[in-house]
Amino acid sequence: MLLSFSSAFTSCRQSVPNSTKSSSSVNVTDFRGVEITLPNPAKRIVCLIESALSGIYMLQAENQIIGISSGVYNESTFAQYAVLDERIKNKTLPAPGNWDFVNIESIVALRPDLVIIWASQTESIESIEKHGIPVYGVFLKSVNDVYKEIHDFGILTGRSQRADSLTNYTRNEINQLRSTINIEEIEKKNIYFMWTQGLLETAGTTSTVNELIELAGAKNSCTTSQEHVVINKERLLDWNPDIIVMWYNPLKSPEDIAKLSEIQHINAIKFNQVYELPSVFLCDLWTLKFPYAVKQLAKWCYPASTEGLNMNTEKQKMLVKLYGEKGEKLTK
Amino acid sequence: MNRRIIHLVFYILPLPVILASLFIGPSHTATLGSIMDLFLKNSDDSDLIKSIIFDVRLPRILLSFLVGGSLAISGCSIQAIFRNPLTDSYILGLSSGAAFGAALALAYAFLPVQLSAFIFGLMAVALSYFTARKNKNVSIVSLILSGIIVSGIFTALLTIVQFFSDPFKLQSIVHWTMGNLHNANWVKLRSSVIPITIGVFVIFVYRWRLNVLALGDDEAKTVGINPERDKIIILIAATLASSSAVAVAGIIGLYGLMVPHMIRMVTGPDNQKSIPLNFLFGGTFLLIIDDFSRTISSFEIPIGVFTMLLGAPFFIYLMKKTNIGWNS
Repeated sequence: MLLSFSSAFTSCRQSVPNSTKSSSSVNVTDFRGVEITLPNPAKRIVCLIESALSGIYMLQAENQIIGISSGVYNESTFAQYAVLDERIKNKTLPAPGNWDFVNIESIVALRPDLVIIWASQTESIESIEKHGIPVYGVFLKSVNDVYKEIHDFGILTGRSQRADSLTNYTRNEINQLRSTINIEEIEKKNIYFMWTQGLLETAGTTSTVNELIELAGAKNSCTTSQEHVVINKERLLDWNPDIIVMWYNPLKSPEDIAKLSEIQHINAIKFNQVYELPSVFLCDLWTLKFPYAVKQLAKWCYPASTEGLNMNTEKQKMLVKLYGEKGEKLTK
Repeated sequence: MNRRIIHLVFYILPLPVILASLFIGPSHTATLGSIMDLFLKNSDDSDLIKSIIFDVRLPRILLSFLVGGSLAISGCSIQAIFRNPLTDSYILGLSSGAAFGAALALAYAFLPVQLSAFIFGLMAVALSYFTARKNKNVSIVSLILSGIIVSGIFTALLTIVQFFSDPFKLQSIVHWTMGNLHNANWVKLRSSVIPITIGVFVIFVYRWRLNVLALGDDEAKTVGINPERDKIIILIAATLASSSAVAVAGIIGLYGLMVPHMIRMVTGPDNQKSIPLNFLFGGTFLLIIDDFSRTISSFEIPIGVFTMLLGAPFFIYLMKKTNIGWNS
């Protein structure tokens, strides 16, 4: 009996809402492994993840968005989203939740036909699904997950062709870069990645950051198999990285890091190789914009072989390709 | 064991532990052998090893010692003046005030984190004190009650800041509240050494009065002591020392409650003797715990976690082994 109850529950989770598949129905499996079937591509989407929202704008499906994360209005990326969408600029697009908190009543009142939310927000997902609203749960661990996400969004919004085109563009950009720097031949530079929280907070070998460092032809100093890790200063001195790359940090600059007396003996400081990635919007590692960060890393690591790479041109090219006409406004 | 010998051990222990700690760390470069070689010959890694010893380990060791000592001595003095063995320096809202101050600074960057934690920690204690004050008198029960209420208010404010923070900032706030010594450096040490020294010195000078105050206000008055004035002086000193410790190391929960009991179990209830022992043992014990914390894994585990994981079994052992009349 328990088994039959469990199987009934599972089957319910697999088809929210419970509808028969028609010729226009769309079907994907989200990051929870839950199958989502919609009778038609979604026309009313509530997207509570900022990076996922970026993906939907890349697909040029902004008119299908009816709710966003409150973080978009508060975070440093507001200016860019204000360019992409007048409703965000005027703050008229409802924000019924964020990565942490979801107002179920507001979501239900918006009558969405799809909610995009972090897969880890299990209680919220359960509550939304109880109202018969399909939920796509996101959990990104790698670059391939970023490709899967945009592919699924393409299907769910009825814009598969654009999704495939953007994915192919991104893959080509990475392949071109790797052939430019002759990835098999180079002597790999050692990069220490520093998160905003402080010098000792870094990304381990199971992180997306690790993958980006490797895509840029370098290797991660941190060999700990954790995604986000707080390390000991002595470890940093032992690793002796060639380059320190800071995630965008509004409080500290590379000059501040270079002044720290206790790390003066590491190569990155000795040879003035401390850099900061530009804006969070531009280098968002969990969107198809990640090649920009990869190219920037490659340029810092291998300036000779990437001499022809102009980051300003790369930025313009990428934004126009990914966001279309509005991308041009973003470059200004 | 003879109590005199125990006292002697507690007085001597800090020096060898501090020296030994200099040789303990996760670095594969600054090993015991390489440090010994440093004195005999000049190697390629000499500068690096010196940097690890003098710029990384030494400030962390000294800061751990100061933080542990100040939390223990503050806890002991507060237990004595409140005549309540279940209190510590956090009871008047210090930890929640400091946590709110740190969270506010981490989220909105309007002040340095350390300074903000210190200011809000002191502010919480002052608020508790003035809330409890009535007709120029402060009763102990009112003070503890107002401390609990003020703690509740600052905890609620902390929750609001956390609620509106993005994941990156939230992570920083959570890490701060778990206690951390991995960011120790000479700057932090310099900023905390003066207030901690002043607080500890005042408590040390007033240590014999704690015995009298622990008997009750009427008894204190009969020997010519002004209990209200002395309590305020000791409270300010304890708050100064512990808020400076919290500002640089975050919240190390229950340490100020646990260590005074450990000392009492081993050496007895005489505050005149236990006050210096609290400082020395509190410092040494936290240093030993931090030695484990920084060597046991390849990444940093918050000191607050280790304090409970290592301190609690030792506390339970002492509680079982000694008999100081709590069962009656």
